[in-house]
Amino acid sequence: MTSRTKRTTALRSTRSRQLAAISVVAIAALGLTACSSGKKSGAGNTSSPTSNTSSSASQPAAPSSGGGGGSANAACDIPSSPVTLEWWHNANNDPGKSAFQKVADDFHAAHSSVSFKVQPIQNEDIKTKIPIALQGTPPDVFQQWGGGALATQIQSGKIADITDCSSSWIGDLGKSASGWAVDGKQYGIPYDYHVVGFWYRTDLFQQAGIANPPATFDELLTDIQTLKSKNIVPISVGGKDKWPDAFYWENFVLQECPKDTVTKALDAKKMDDPCFIKAGEDLKKLLDAKPFQPGFLGTPAQQGAGSSAGLLANGKAAMELQGDWEMAVMPSLTQDKDFASKVGWFPFPKVDGGQGEPGAALGGGDGFSCSTKAPAACAAFLQYLTSADVESYLVKQNAITIPSNAGAVAAITDPTLKKVQTYLQGVTYNQLYFDQALPTNVGNAVNDAVSNFFAGQGTPADIAAAAGKAASQ
Amino acid sequence: MSSGSRTTVRSGEVLPDLVPSSRGARRLGRSKGRPSWRQRFELSLLLGPAVILFVGFVILPIAVAVYYSFYKWNGFGPLNDVIGLENYRRAFKDSVFVHGIYHNLIIAGLSLFIQLPLSIAIALLINRKMRGRGFLRLVVFAPYVLSAAVTAVTWMLMLQPDGFIDQLFKNAGAGSWRQLWLGDTHIVLYTIFVVATWQYMGFGIVLLLAGLQGIPHELREAAALDGATPWQTTRMVTLPLLGPTIRIWIFLSMIGSLQLFDLPWIMTGGGPAGASTTMATYLIDKGFRSYEFGYGSAVAVILFLICFIFAVLYQRFALRRDTEGSLTRMAG
Amino acid sequence: MAAIQATQPPAPSRRISKLGGPQSAWGTAAAYIVGAIIIVVTIVPLLYVILGGFRTTAQINEHPAGLPSPWVWDNYKSILTTRTFWHFLLNSTLIAIIATGLTVILGAMAAFALSRYVFRGRDGLYAFFTIGLMFPLTVAALPLYLQLRRLGLLENLWGVAIPEAAFSLSITVVILRPFMRAIPAELEDAAVVDGSSRLGFFWRVLLPLSAPALTTVAVLAFVTSWNFYILPLLVFNDQIHFTLPLGVATFQSQYSQDTAKVFAFTSLSMLPTLFFFVIAQRRIVGGLTGAVKG
Repeated sequence: MTSRTKRTTALRSTRSRQLAAISVVAIAALGLTACSSGKKSGAGNTSSPTSNTSSSASQPAAPSSGGGGGSANAACDIPSSPVTLEWWHNANNDPGKSAFQKVADDFHAAHSSVSFKVQPIQNEDIKTKIPIALQGTPPDVFQQWGGGALATQIQSGKIADITDCSSSWIGDLGKSASGWAVDGKQYGIPYDYHVVGFWYRTDLFQQAGIANPPATFDELLTDIQTLKSKNIVPISVGGKDKWPDAFYWENFVLQECPKDTVTKALDAKKMDDPCFIKAGEDLKKLLDAKPFQPGFLGTPAQQGAGSSAGLLANGKAAMELQGDWEMAVMPSLTQDKDFASKVGWFPFPKVDGGQGEPGAALGGGDGFSCSTKAPAACAAFLQYLTSADVESYLVKQNAITIPSNAGAVAAITDPTLKKVQTYLQGVTYNQLYFDQALPTNVGNAVNDAVSNFFAGQGTPADIAAAAGKAASQ
Repeated sequence: MSSGSRTTVRSGEVLPDLVPSSRGARRLGRSKGRPSWRQRFELSLLLGPAVILFVGFVILPIAVAVYYSFYKWNGFGPLNDVIGLENYRRAFKDSVFVHGIYHNLIIAGLSLFIQLPLSIAIALLINRKMRGRGFLRLVVFAPYVLSAAVTAVTWMLMLQPDGFIDQLFKNAGAGSWRQLWLGDTHIVLYTIFVVATWQYMGFGIVLLLAGLQGIPHELREAAALDGATPWQTTRMVTLPLLGPTIRIWIFLSMIGSLQLFDLPWIMTGGGPAGASTTMATYLIDKGFRSYEFGYGSAVAVILFLICFIFAVLYQRFALRRDTEGSLTRMAG
Repeated sequence: MAAIQATQPPAPSRRISKLGGPQSAWGTAAAYIVGAIIIVVTIVPLLYVILGGFRTTAQINEHPAGLPSPWVWDNYKSILTTRTFWHFLLNSTLIAIIATGLTVILGAMAAFALSRYVFRGRDGLYAFFTIGLMFPLTVAALPLYLQLRRLGLLENLWGVAIPEAAFSLSITVVILRPFMRAIPAELEDAAVVDGSSRLGFFWRVLLPLSAPALTTVAVLAFVTSWNFYILPLLVFNDQIHFTLPLGVATFQSQYSQDTAKVFAFTSLSMLPTLFFFVIAQRRIVGGLTGAVKG
């Protein structure tokens, strides 16, 4: 009896150990499964078209039948042999998705030799996928935000130089199209532009007794105090995403530094002029006024009613510094159908004594690049896409906000956006967001430094030094 | 289970029946008598596919990552800028990364000193015949099968300022306990630890329960008959017998803590100001989002080495008696 | 423990513990309380999401902690009537089945060889398999992607399933090997006496006996595959191939403003795993404890 008991026990305890091993190993197994999520943030250079109004679908005009028309270069003519363009864009929801599909269909109808395989890809995903695709076979037409990221990407040798094929029409897209050029060669074209400014609640300003939006930094600081005294959160910011923080510092840089200084610093990836430190000191002054919503360091920019855009849309904050896409983001963050009438816009206020170019603005745009596989057909398609007729159609469909082609501007109907567009037309230069203008790793380092500064870490000098430090690594 | 069988199987030596244990290994001594071509054939049939799969899709990519780690490479241009160990030096000079290591260690420490005792206490308490135990186990386990993306998004929504959690505190009359759960650099790491505990603790409890049920009732009852109090019985009988389960729990929990990625990545992106950065979020941030593939690979290798060294040491000193010392053997 | 055993022959014991002392009654009460707390803490976030799907975004914004009033079915209905959701579900299922099947079959074969054969380098090979435990797949994502492209496995369910199976092999072998080792040699002797070959023994005796451990590894592989994000993200462009987690992420960014709809989609995408778990849990937990008890 005793011996039998012993044996059973021994067996049990052996098994139990193994079992424990099984089970506990299992715990970690799932813990190991690293996984990342689609985060809607990025360089803030995307307009997410929404489906608020579906204006009467004006048909884009049929493309001119002359192929890459107007080009003197025969190499730019649409080849007569059939070609299928794979097109990756980030408008993965309507109205943008259908609008782009229609543009492709219409182009195919006019040029039967060119067919499309349209691939709408979610914005954050496309940023991971394009660099990886460039190591192999990239799509023929793909999303491109220009600047330093483009300069990095062309090292792959897979992006077509479309300077010749676009020379006859690139002028229609304004001088900002140079953001899609590297060393004077056009590697992509923009189809819409963006500009960053303050969106504000006219109703809250009224409630606080502020008659006019601030034109100078000092006025902004005064207004912040006024709003705070009325228990209104003066400004909302999406600190979790970092790039909204960076918008502040970059705007202060544009106020403090002459254009040349900025351009040279971005080219050299080195910001050693004292004006960059002054920008940080301005930012310090703003932060000391404590203008932001509680918990702003963890607030996302666009996700949900608790995001910075949601706070503004719901009247829980009086201002937010954001791009023009804000108008497209806000409608779905609030139940207030009438909110658009309560929202106004003003450009970043002037800093007294700043050496910055008057009328400088911070912005960017969305565009496309061609791969080297079928550059002629791709360039012809991009010419069609950015024509005044097609862009007007895209504006009316709410697929884009501010068209790159001046001929399509008339299609904008919203009065506030018209104001933004008018301002954009009048700016002396529209500086690409730094994180886009710089190589990606350097741009991210700047965003990180500014974001740390918002959290109370580091000094103005640290922000200015961040780019140089990252570039030298 | 321990030393005897290890002698038997040491690096393929044939020591037939030295130890009269009822291990499968003993059979193998005899199998030597069979024609070895047959064993070879069977072995390649059994092991071949798994080895090919594992080498092709796990080892090879890892080896390539090690190779990249010696280059400065943005993922686009040619891979020709060899910089030796510079990427590694840079990682240890970057205070964000070094803080990331601290954060991993803090999470590991919290798991060890809070999550583990709590799990054991709960497991002991509910290790009895009670109504609804099956349901309880089911519920406790449930968060485990959710994807981290779902968990993270859910908690983000609940934790936002004036969100569900804050409302709960307010309604419970503890409004002053409200915090900027994800927005305060001093709190965010602990918030993430709580969410991780929510997701992962249940499985640990279920496993400890399984371990507890492997302990014969007779032992506890015998101790009780000897006049031991329940606490004494637990301390002197149950916990020691639960030792192997606990030791492996610790091992895997530590590895998991060192590799913590998805929750902080989705909930905070490692912020604010790097306050919830872990080694893995840093790695993805640098490797993929900043296109520094060479540097990112070096960080990956460091992460791997830290886990590996921990695993070898732990297995050598703590787990030796419980498992069959795979890593110990490998290390020497 | 053998000593205790020897001095105190076991009594027909269940009875004693049922009678219990006052402590044990208190203990039971405490157990119920703790159990209730655990259930509440665990379930509330899940309910919050599921119920959130029955509210409108306006309701959620106004009262983050409220209940649906009135109940709204549109969120769930609109998702269930789109084909994409069912596509995601089908893809996730197919990939998880392939990955689980591969890893369990190959893992069981390898674990058998590693546990019941003696050959040179056996423990080295075992250690080699455990390396996968220390290296999250995310780390190797880029080289893995290049590898898959070379093999022409992009935009292909196998391109996701095969690497997932490979990374699950580590845990599978680590779990199965000791389990298979513990099965007494006498059984193998008996099988040999009956004229069975070793492979026959593996197939007819060892595998059925290993069922609890096989269930455990299968469930782990399935859940891992089901929740995996970064690999399908890299391999698939075409939404027709997306898995549920990719779908959740895409959906969440498409409707990031419509919290209620995101809740509904999130609930629906966690239901299959929860459902699967409800079915399998008796086997997992029962299998675990059953195996422990021997």
